[in-house]
Amino acid sequence: MIATIKAEWRKSRLRPAFLIGAGVIAGITILVYAANWYLALHPLATRGGDRAIVSLATLYPDQFVNNVMGAAFPIGAAMAIVLGALFAGSEYGWGTVKTMFTQRPGRLTVWAGRVFVFGIWMLILTFVLFGVGAASSVVVALFQGHAITGPAAIDLAKGIGAIWLVFMVNGSIGLALGVLIRQPAAALGIGLTYVLAVEIIAVRIINLINNGQFKDVTEQFVNQNATALTQSFTSPAFGTITAPVVSADHAVLVLAAYLIGLTIVAAGLLRLRDVT
Amino acid sequence: MENIAIVETHSLTKRFGSGVLAVDSVDMSVRRGEVYGFLGPNGAGKTTTLRMLVGLIRPTSGTATAAGHAPGDPKGLARIGSLIESPGFYPYLSGRENLKVVADLASVNLKRVEEVLDIVELSTRAGRKFGTYSTGMKQRLGVAAALLKDPDLLILDEPTNGLDPQGMAEMRKLIKDIGQGERTVLLSSHLLGEVEQICDRVGVISNGKLVKQSTVQELLGEEGVLVRAQPIDRAQDLLARMYGAAAISRQDGALHLKTKPENSVEINRQLVGAGIGVSELRPFERSLEEVFFQLTGEKQGS
Repeated sequence: MIATIKAEWRKSRLRPAFLIGAGVIAGITILVYAANWYLALHPLATRGGDRAIVSLATLYPDQFVNNVMGAAFPIGAAMAIVLGALFAGSEYGWGTVKTMFTQRPGRLTVWAGRVFVFGIWMLILTFVLFGVGAASSVVVALFQGHAITGPAAIDLAKGIGAIWLVFMVNGSIGLALGVLIRQPAAALGIGLTYVLAVEIIAVRIINLINNGQFKDVTEQFVNQNATALTQSFTSPAFGTITAPVVSADHAVLVLAAYLIGLTIVAAGLLRLRDVT
Repeated sequence: MENIAIVETHSLTKRFGSGVLAVDSVDMSVRRGEVYGFLGPNGAGKTTTLRMLVGLIRPTSGTATAAGHAPGDPKGLARIGSLIESPGFYPYLSGRENLKVVADLASVNLKRVEEVLDIVELSTRAGRKFGTYSTGMKQRLGVAAALLKDPDLLILDEPTNGLDPQGMAEMRKLIKDIGQGERTVLLSSHLLGEVEQICDRVGVISNGKLVKQSTVQELLGEEGVLVRAQPIDRAQDLLARMYGAAAISRQDGALHLKTKPENSVEINRQLVGAGIGVSELRPFERSLEEVFFQLTGEKQGS
């Protein structure tokens, strides 16, 4: 297992897709902070007076955990699908799957090592998100002359865990599709279409049937739970927000089930199928 | 060379989901220490058989052992180096980094990477990205990766594919060198000259069936002498009296005589002494190409 992890890390540490992914996450976080800062400083003129779309208080360091949740999702989730599809699917296009499977470790060990290293990458992306978010919030605070006070350590840990889980579940969709389809392009196309369109449409349609009689079904969908989990990180500074459709505990359980289920299904496919 | 088999298959069969019977009841035996040529036309089932031996494909029926273990068993894989079809490496990594990935996976000391790069003469270009390599360099890196484990059994599937004549000659020499000593090399190819030059024994596969397995010498048949003389009927009578009618056959206006080439001097003396004109007298050996086409039922030059 250690040998597989070493090999998977060596091959992925210089992989452009991961480095670009980290850059995109950092760039989007900075962009979101910059846009929100601008909106906070330029209230909307209405008949009733100026109305701030974004409260400046949400951009300070003590709120950065709650704030990066919005920046991370769904762009971060989409990024995770792309990376997962590339990580698993490219092995077939390059013919490296046969190189990997004809060395010493068995197929399941290779897969376990791959998922482990992918998890490390998702953690790195999470740290990039939080690091850039924290730095951006400090910049805002410095410019605005606001005190620099960090969030509670427990909130920070929970936030990192939540985003890692969201990235990992979406990444595992990409990984499983990469293994199923055995090439990256179609895998990431299908994955993105599902998350960005199919699931959203399906949720709306199902929730309309008999005045939401089958709402329980949509509460088990991946990104319903991912959205609920990220929405659970909030504070009065953000004002009134829509209540999450499911509790954070429910979301964590469902997402963990998806992660485990998708990883096992992909492992089964890898183990049983011929490499032609 | 020992007679112990390092690769053995019994009724090994692979039928793909589409119904195509790719490999049909193959009984193959590769002995420890030999260079075994696995011959067959394109699509005959060579690669499918080799994929089954390293566990990439599961047989539909039959059994196989490679390096003393079932195909795909980690204990067996630890002793097998393979290059199946085209070499599969990461295009964004250098040749050296790619070998390190394989070395990590195979639990091989990273020092071995430099050793195998030296063997395949790729050390000076190992820092370049794999994606920029020529076909020859890619094949060499594939062989280097196969050698990383210092394997008892080396399986090379058409290693000269896509190489220019010089690259092919270099690869042949490399395989010959690698095959010296205790190591067993199982080499698949459809290039007959290559197999004839390198291999101790060959197996010929056609339409999924192993149609022949023997030494190259056995496959080529007995040595003989080709005689072109006039009048040919008198020459045939005379040689029949000397060596027996069964030893002579007539093909394309020449006589094929089953005898040692050292007898050519006596043959010439007898024919000339009998007033028969001899226009050609030379040792005759069937080429592997002729044997191959005869065994596989393929037409030469088609």
